[in-house]
Amino acid sequence: MDRGARAALQREMCRLADGDRAAFEPVFAALWPVLRAFAARALPVPAEAEDAAQCALIKVFSRAAEFDASREALPWALGIAAYECRTLRKARSRRREELRVPPEPADERTSEDAAIERDLVAAAAEVMRGLSVLDQETLLAAGRGDRESSSTFRKRLERALARFRKQWRARHGAD
Amino acid sequence: MEPIELRHRARRAYELGRARLGAKAAGAALLIAAAAVALGRPPELTALLCAALAALVAALAFRGGASARAVTAGLAAGSGAMLAPVVLMTAGCSMFGPASMRFCVPACVVAGGVVGAALALLAAREEHGAREFLLAGTAVAAVTASFGCTLGGAAGVVGMALGTVAAGAPVWLAARAHR
Repeated sequence: MDRGARAALQREMCRLADGDRAAFEPVFAALWPVLRAFAARALPVPAEAEDAAQCALIKVFSRAAEFDASREALPWALGIAAYECRTLRKARSRRREELRVPPEPADERTSEDAAIERDLVAAAAEVMRGLSVLDQETLLAAGRGDRESSSTFRKRLERALARFRKQWRARHGAD
Repeated sequence: MEPIELRHRARRAYELGRARLGAKAAGAALLIAAAAVALGRPPELTALLCAALAALVAALAFRGGASARAVTAGLAAGSGAMLAPVVLMTAGCSMFGPASMRFCVPACVVAGGVVGAALALLAAREEHGAREFLLAGTAVAAVTASFGCTLGGAAGVVGMALGTVAAGAPVWLAARAHR
């Protein structure tokens, strides 16, 4: 963000803190791309970065009425975004520790089981390719165990699963 | 989340933040009312005035602008004016009869004058919305001061209001002319 844009954001943020609702749109338009880019740099999984940016934006507006005009708006907003990213990273590492399971028993599958599994994986991959990138990332994140506790992620996962099932039925005729 | 949904959620979060600010202001009004009751004011009348003050300051803080900035100044100035008659009562001044007219009602007028002058000075320093600041600040200060000035009955409240206008108007005009 260049110097002029920062000054404009500062001005609009002060207006918003003062209760001027007309400043909402300019602040939203200026902050959303910045927070999105910041979260994308801070978090490796795009779906997580998107969620963190959204949470940060909501928090920025939630605290906008208490914004201290003597502080700079951009670092203040980025501080909130950094906190959100850190919280998400911590939650993910905690989940991974919880999900650490004991090793599976020895593989007793027959070659026929293995062939069936290969076919199923290939069919699922084909259906996945028909989904949007966001749906693919969401399903992969859930598959890896990177499930977030946020309702946003849950809803996104539900929608992605519904679309996956629909495509699966269209291709293979059953769940 | 779709951008439109995100925008709606952000807007709702902003309005909730402002409502939280209003609730804090209403909390300050409750504290002042509690102090008035602790200093011996009747709970029924104080509760009635407190309800009006809490609603007023919450609405002004939620709305924002100069009127929101006037809330703190109004509450502070009004609290000072509220304490004047209460302190006189504590000092032993009679609230009714001739003694009331000699000390308490004039105290309310003087307190109102100080409130009016202070608010007029602060309002004149406002870049935008000076009138709005003055009106909102005076309304908040008047209701806050009423906690104490009702000691002198209706005469106390009217005296305080007259004092506010009588002292505030010339200070306001002089400060505006000076700018």
